[in-house]
Amino acid sequence: MRKSASAIAVHGILILYTALALFPILLVIMNSFKARKAIFGSPLALPTPTTFSLIGYDRVFGDSSIVSYYLNSITVTGGTIFFTLLFGAMAAWALTEYKFRWNTLLALFLAVGIMVPIRLGSVSIIQLIVELNLINTLTALILVYTAQNLPLSIFILSEFIAQIPKDLREAGRCDGLSEYSIFFYIVLPLIRPAMATVAVFTMIPVWNDLWFPLLLAPTGGKQTITLGIQQFLGQYITDWNAVLSALSTAIIPVLILYVIFSRQLIRGLTSGAVK
Amino acid sequence: MSEVKIEKLCKSYGPVEVLKDINLTVGDGSFVVLVGPSGCGKSTLLRSIAGLEPVNSGNMTIGGRQVNDLPPAQREIAMVFQSYALYPHMDVYNNMAFGLKFAKTPKAEIEARVNEAARILQLEPLLKRRPRELSGGQRQRVAIGRAIVRKPQVFLFDEPLSNLDAALRINTRVEIAKLHKMLKATIVYVTHDQVEAMTLADKIVVMNKGRVEQAGKPLELYYKPNNLFVAGFIGSPAMNFLPAQVKKGGILALSDGQELKAALPSSCKAGDTVTLGFRPEHMTLGGAGKFALTGIIDIIERLGESGFAHVRLPSGHTVVAEVRGDPRTGSGQSAKLTFDADYLHIFNAEGQRLD
Amino acid sequence: MADAKAGAGNAIVGMGRGSYAMLLAFFLGPAVVIYTVFSIYPLFATIFNSLYLRQPDGAYLFNGLGNFQTLLTDTTWSVPFWNAFRNNCYFFFIHMLVQNPIGLALAAMLSLPRLRLRATYRTLIFMPTMLSVVIIGFSWQLILSPLWGISKMFLNALGLGFLFAPWLGQESTALITVSLISVWQFVGIPMILIYTALLAIPEELIDAATVDGLNQFQAFVWVKLPLIFPTIGLVSVLTFVNNFNAFDLIYAMKGALAGPNFSADIMGTLFYRTFFGNQLQLGDLSMGSTIATMMFLIILVGVMCYLFLIQRRMQRYSF
Repeated sequence: MRKSASAIAVHGILILYTALALFPILLVIMNSFKARKAIFGSPLALPTPTTFSLIGYDRVFGDSSIVSYYLNSITVTGGTIFFTLLFGAMAAWALTEYKFRWNTLLALFLAVGIMVPIRLGSVSIIQLIVELNLINTLTALILVYTAQNLPLSIFILSEFIAQIPKDLREAGRCDGLSEYSIFFYIVLPLIRPAMATVAVFTMIPVWNDLWFPLLLAPTGGKQTITLGIQQFLGQYITDWNAVLSALSTAIIPVLILYVIFSRQLIRGLTSGAVK
Repeated sequence: MSEVKIEKLCKSYGPVEVLKDINLTVGDGSFVVLVGPSGCGKSTLLRSIAGLEPVNSGNMTIGGRQVNDLPPAQREIAMVFQSYALYPHMDVYNNMAFGLKFAKTPKAEIEARVNEAARILQLEPLLKRRPRELSGGQRQRVAIGRAIVRKPQVFLFDEPLSNLDAALRINTRVEIAKLHKMLKATIVYVTHDQVEAMTLADKIVVMNKGRVEQAGKPLELYYKPNNLFVAGFIGSPAMNFLPAQVKKGGILALSDGQELKAALPSSCKAGDTVTLGFRPEHMTLGGAGKFALTGIIDIIERLGESGFAHVRLPSGHTVVAEVRGDPRTGSGQSAKLTFDADYLHIFNAEGQRLD
Repeated sequence: MADAKAGAGNAIVGMGRGSYAMLLAFFLGPAVVIYTVFSIYPLFATIFNSLYLRQPDGAYLFNGLGNFQTLLTDTTWSVPFWNAFRNNCYFFFIHMLVQNPIGLALAAMLSLPRLRLRATYRTLIFMPTMLSVVIIGFSWQLILSPLWGISKMFLNALGLGFLFAPWLGQESTALITVSLISVWQFVGIPMILIYTALLAIPEELIDAATVDGLNQFQAFVWVKLPLIFPTIGLVSVLTFVNNFNAFDLIYAMKGALAGPNFSADIMGTLFYRTFFGNQLQLGDLSMGSTIATMMFLIILVGVMCYLFLIQRRMQRYSF
């Protein structure tokens, strides 16, 4: 008897906390589909045929740049993931497979970036980006984010590459593959699961970041969606329909992706890669 | 001609010498097995032949061609790995064809060779499967198939049977022996299992601490081991060793006073300390051999048709003897062990065989 | 075989020195160049910048540690600096005292054997962590806004209506409110990390404790907790680094001025304001770099404490 009572207590606490975690998100999404009067009159009610309204979304998408902000975010996140994975896997392969004099030192050098946030160098990053004539470009963001994410990516991928049996790489050598082919034809296909984990780790902070878009590409239509929404919210602060819809516009795609990939993500997080 | 010749091969990791002055010839079409305890350098030697490990000095030729500085793919070798090393992301066909594709072999030729290998190894129904959908024995055959399609001068096997269960191991051992006969292939094979070594090899190379202790035909190693190490390594259960003093008149005195009279080799002088060796399977409990030792039975391990008696001599040494059938005796009983002169091995103080 | 492993990755047979160097350059080059140019170089350049002072004519003059002296003693700078530092410490302590214990408790419950719906709880509780801080900040701003009145309605329903106040707008409560929102969002991270560590503890250990007469709670405190100390150490240092580097949430909710009256100002917002300027002052590259360098030093001290004091003493157990 005592056992089931404590089980009920545990479920009770977990359900309460889950409600606390979800409530604000659901509240925003729910009210974004209501007319202004209903937002204030009955904020906790689901939208009904009489209160349903898309006026907020009209305003958000009427501001045509929101769509291009989405494309900017997709470009930046996609580009960052691509370069982080490719260059990270290449470096991880060289560091684990080949012996050379500065191997350990180089690994330490690359590990610095895991602990020290790149933001602290922002002053010089801006100067550098200005000098390279890349201000207000997506390239600038991709370069900086790639630099930011490479260290953890190299660290995680190294662990996985080290687990590929040595025999397999040597079978490749006996089969006449060059070192380059061994990497591209044997190693890369085998670390796909690890790359998915790194991709998720990379994607979330890049997609959500406000700092670097604010510093490096704040205007000129090159805003990411996070910055774009932030600026939009500043403009329409008193238009509750628009604000709630803008917030939902930012939340919903992430939620959909999260629901699809949550298994992968949690598995990645719990694989011990960050230990 | 695909003879492998190794001369004065040395290799070290920093200050640690792992191969010391190795000289070895693997004749065309012969099956050479490298055996030794783990860490003896046998795998390193195999991998050096494959070109997977650089060597410090010495000379290696395959089919008369010097290969010291050639990468593995240009040595015309094929290797079967202990873990099989099948590419998990490719099906059986592509695992076998992969190396050929990189060697720019024409497509028709690749197909012909893969199908031929699949036929020999009965892999035809499995060509479209991935390695993880195969049993251990099937994976093993694919690994061998991958070696066959390359038509190498030399096959290198690195403990290929150690991941199989006991029954399958015996089957596959026989398969490999047949394959060797059929392909007339030159094979270098590493194992720590002496039964594999004895049954498969034309020539066994016993290694220890980076050196070749003895190389020769299996029965030669069994009947005439060069030194204590080889004597102890070949044969199961291991040879019995007893220390003895040489006395005048060809008498060998054990430390507990028991004496054996033998025709001693000429190099044996009175006063020498020697080690006597005799195999359990050459001793009988009771019996009428020329030599006899007495002691007390500690225990008899009974395996059914035979067994092993562990007999403690007065000196405190334990001797193991094979017993046939079901002896009517047991722990605590005294026992007389006899054996024949032909089966007595004598080693000098340095552990070298005296003949 | 042991003898096979010893030779892992020596130079490659049949490859010359030149092509070996080419190989390394090909694989390591891109990562090392991008990382060095866009991460390590800016970090050092920032520290370097902090040693220079901008002159009225626009030139930069070497100033030694003068900028740091200014930052720590000149009241124009030191008052906001110490204010931001103090606030940041509060921000950190609230995370340590609220976020990590809640994370631990949730992880402990999720790792209970035979718990149903484990994956569902885990997924849902982690959800806010996935979303952008900007979105979270703004959503909470709406929820706490007296205009909308949702919070007041809730408190009324609980009979606590008298407690309601514009928490985000009051000097006395703005910082703690923002901190708690941040806790709410990021509680998933300690939860997942600790949960993973708990799962790695073998069942038999708990069985052994049960046989020894401990109940579930005692087994957790005396067996599991000591075994996950390394993870708690890691969670703490991650919290420290993230907190002293935080910016987005406060900027999104309170703007660069982190008002009212800088009551929610932390190092990140101070740095942003100093470097970019705002309604009250012009941007200042030297002092911006100086503050960034101070942040770097603070984070460095935290990481070093972790590495040398905590991680060294703590034994890691392998199961």
